[in-house]
Amino acid sequence: MTTRRDFLKSSLGTSAVVSIGATAPQFLLQAGAAEAKPTDETILVMVQLSGGNDGLNTVAPFKESAYRKARPTLAVSAGDALKIDDSYGFHPAAKGLSNLLESDRLAIIQGVGYANPNRSHFESMDIWHTCQRKTAVRNDGWLGRFLDNTRQGDALDIPAIHLGREKQPLALSSQDIRVPSVTSLDRFRLKESAGQLRKTVTNIGKSASPGGGLLGFVQTSTGSALSASEQIEAASGRYKTGITYPESGLAQKLKTVAQLIDSGLKTRIYYVTLDGFDTHSRQAAAHEALLRELSGALDAFVRDMDEHGHGDRVLTMSFSEFGRRLQENASEGTDHGAAAPAFLAGNRVKSGLIGKHPSLHDLQDGDVKFHTDFRQLYATVLDQWLGVDSAPILGGKFTRVPALRS
Amino acid sequence: MPQDIASIDPDWAWSPFSPSTEQPWNRRLAAHLCRRAGFGATSKELDELLEREPAELARSLVENAKAASMRDPETDALATAMLATGNSRNLAAWWLYRMLNSSWSGDQATQTSPLLEKLTLFWHGHFGTGAEKVDDAEMMFTQNRLLRRHSLGDFGAMTQEISRDPAMLIYLDSTTNRKAHPNENYAREIMELFCLGEGNYTERDIQELARCFTGWEVRRKKFRFNRYQHDTGTKTILGKTGKFTGEEGVEVVLKQKALPRFIARKLIRFFVFDEPAAPEQLVEPLAKLLRQSGLRIAPVIERILASNIFYSAFAVGRKVRSPVELGIGLLRCLNGSSNLDRVAQHLDEIGQAVFYPPNVKGWDGGRTWINTSTLLGRSNLVGELLRHEATRFDGQTLEALAKKNAVSNPGELIEWLDELLLAVPLDDSAKSELLAFAEQTTGDPSRRIARLIQTLSTVPQFHLA
Repeated sequence: MTTRRDFLKSSLGTSAVVSIGATAPQFLLQAGAAEAKPTDETILVMVQLSGGNDGLNTVAPFKESAYRKARPTLAVSAGDALKIDDSYGFHPAAKGLSNLLESDRLAIIQGVGYANPNRSHFESMDIWHTCQRKTAVRNDGWLGRFLDNTRQGDALDIPAIHLGREKQPLALSSQDIRVPSVTSLDRFRLKESAGQLRKTVTNIGKSASPGGGLLGFVQTSTGSALSASEQIEAASGRYKTGITYPESGLAQKLKTVAQLIDSGLKTRIYYVTLDGFDTHSRQAAAHEALLRELSGALDAFVRDMDEHGHGDRVLTMSFSEFGRRLQENASEGTDHGAAAPAFLAGNRVKSGLIGKHPSLHDLQDGDVKFHTDFRQLYATVLDQWLGVDSAPILGGKFTRVPALRS
Repeated sequence: MPQDIASIDPDWAWSPFSPSTEQPWNRRLAAHLCRRAGFGATSKELDELLEREPAELARSLVENAKAASMRDPETDALATAMLATGNSRNLAAWWLYRMLNSSWSGDQATQTSPLLEKLTLFWHGHFGTGAEKVDDAEMMFTQNRLLRRHSLGDFGAMTQEISRDPAMLIYLDSTTNRKAHPNENYAREIMELFCLGEGNYTERDIQELARCFTGWEVRRKKFRFNRYQHDTGTKTILGKTGKFTGEEGVEVVLKQKALPRFIARKLIRFFVFDEPAAPEQLVEPLAKLLRQSGLRIAPVIERILASNIFYSAFAVGRKVRSPVELGIGLLRCLNGSSNLDRVAQHLDEIGQAVFYPPNVKGWDGGRTWINTSTLLGRSNLVGELLRHEATRFDGQTLEALAKKNAVSNPGELIEWLDELLLAVPLDDSAKSELLAFAEQTTGDPSRRIARLIQTLSTVPQFHLA
C-alpha cells in the first residue's frame, strides 16, 4: 500500500477533472428536473483469457521453419491459416478475428508482456491486474484505481460491472468503490409487479420535497435505480439484434453486456473472462474450441454494438496472463510461456498487426521475448480511450501503442 | 438546539437527554434507540421500553451487554453445528441468529444482548478480517469470540489480543513476517486503521514497528512466537526507542495521543451520524472520557446512547441502514424468523457479508451502501424475505401479526409500519400513495401486507436509520 496509495492520493486532485458527464442524473424523483442526457462516454470491455493463451497458435508465424519445427503436431500450416499477411495468419478456428480484421476493427498488438516474466498463472495474472510485483502490497487493480481516480461524489450509476461466476478479478479492486459481480441481468430487476411498485414509489418521489443530505442522496439514487431497472427491463424486452450470437458462454456474457450498454447504463467498464487456456496436453482440440468461442463472441459483439449505434464508443480488450512455450511438449501441448499478442477490437482501432512478431530465434528460457510492456497497452487505453491520465494509475509514464485512431 | 453542527455546544451534546413536553420520550425515539443500539424492536418491546427513562435505559443496556459478553458462545450448539461444516459462510447464519434473537430486557435465557452484537459487528468492521483469505471457519469464530468478549471492555487489551489473533495474522500476512524481510502490512494497519489514523505516524514508524512483529506466526491455528525469526534489535517507534517486542510495540501505539480521538470519532460515526465528519469539539469530550477510563469502551457507549445529540435531529435518520440492519432489522421489528442462510446470501448480494468484509478497512458504510444495484437488491430482498416459505411472523403470518397489534385496515397498517420501521416519517402524500397502492392490491391478506411492506421498503426514507 505504501507508495502507490500515497501516490494515488496525491494525484486525485489533478485527475478528478477528467470524467465529464458522469454527474448524477436526477431521473424521475424531482418534478421538472431536466431530462438526463444520453451518455456518450467511452466504454471498455475487458475479455480476460485465463490460463495462458497460446499466442503462437493464435497469430501463427506459419512461414517460419523454426515454428514448424518446434511444433510438429500443433503448428498451423500456411494452407490452414487465415492470412493476415504473407507471413502470419490466425488459427483456422479464429474466423471471427479474421472477420474483425477484414472490417478494420481489430488491432493485434504483438509481443506483449513484461520484464522478468513470472510463469505462475496466479502471480502473472496478479501482475497484469495490479501492475505490481509480488514484493509490493497489492490491494487494488489498475481498473480499480481508474475508478478511484474518476470517482464523483455522488455518482449513482454502477461504475463497473464484472459479469461471471468466478471470483472478481483483482484488476477491479479499488480503495473506495465496490464493483458488483453479477451473473445475470436479474440483479437489476425488480422481481415482483415491478410496474406497480415503480409507479407508486415514483409518485411518492414526485410529490416529496427534495430532502437535503442523506435523504436527498437516497431520493436521487432511488430515482436512478428505478429508472435503470425500467431501462434494463425495457431494453431486454425491446433489445433485438440482427446479429446471431453463438451459443457459447462468452458470447452470451457479451450479449448481456451489449444489452446493458444499450439500456443506457452509464457503466464504463465491463469485465468478462474465458477460462481454459492452460493447454498442457492435447492442445489442438481444446485450443481450437476456445479460439472459436473467443473469436465468434468478439465478432458478434463488435458487430452488434455497431448495429446499435455504440460502435464508436465501445472498445474491447483481450489479453492473457502469458503466452506459451515455442517448443511443444511431449503431450501434444504447450507449457507456460511469456510474451503473446493482445487484441483491441472496435470501430476506432488502428486495424492490423502492431509491432513485430517476436523473434523465434531470440528466446528467453525457450519463450519468445516481449517488446511491448502490457502497461503501454493500458496507458493507451487510459489516456486515449478512457480519457484520464494514466501515469498515477500505472505508477509511471508508459509510451503508448499506436493502436487507436483519434 | 443549535441549527448547525459546527456551532454545537459539546456540553449540551453529551449531556443526558431528559424528555420534555417539546421532545417527549415516545415510540419513535425508543425505536431510534433500538435501531442504533441493536437491530430494532417489536411493537411490544417498544411499549415496554417506554416505561423507562432514556438515561437509565442506556445504563442498563450497557450493563446487559457487559454481562452477555461474559457468556462465551463456544458452548452454543448452533455454533458447533455451523463450525462442523468448516465453512465460514455458514457462520454468518449463526451470527445473524444471535442478532435476531437478542433481547432488550436483559433476559439471560437468550444469552445475548442487541447492543453486544451491534458492537461486535462494529469491531468486526474496525478490525476487518476476511474469511476468504483466512479460509478457516474455526479461526474466524475464534476471532469473533475475541471481539465479542472485548466489545465493551478495554480497547488496549482487545488490540493486544487481536494483534496475536491467528485469523488476523493470516489476513495481514504477519505469518510471512521474518527477521530478514519484515512484512509491513500489520504494522501499517494497526496505526492507520485500528488505532491512530493517517497522518499520525511515518513510513519509518511502520518499518520499525514491523520489526517488532517478526517471528509472530500461526501454528496449528494458534499463535506461536518463533524466537529465531524475531528481530531483537533496537527499534525507534513514534519517538520511543528500545528493544521492543511485539507487545511493547503495540503498547507504544496504544499510548499515542491520537488514539482516543480516532476511536471516539469512529464510534460517533457508527452510533450517531454518518455525516458530516464530527467536529473536533464534539469528539474531544468522548476522547477525554476514553482516556480517563483507561481506554474502556463501555462508559463511552453509555454516554453516547444517553445523550442529547443522540436523540436530536442531528442523529435521528442521519445514517444509511446497513444491509444487516435492513434485513435483520425488518425481521426483528416484525418478530419474524426465516432461513438465515438465505438471508446471509441476500445480504452479501447487497454489499455486506458478515465474516467477509471487502478489505481490512471493513465496510465504509454511509452512502457507499447505496447504488443502483443495491437499491434494487434491497427491494427484492425485502420482497423475497417476506414471501419466503420459511418466514414466520410471531410464529405465524403477517395477517396474524397485524391482528395481534390491533391493525385492522390499510390506513392503520401504514401508520403502524411508519412508526415501527422508519426513522424519517413519511409525509402525507406518500401515505396516501401507499394507501392507494394497498387498496389496489388484491388477494390473500398476508400477501397484500407483504406487497405494501416491500413498496414501503423501496421508498427512500426506508434506507435511513
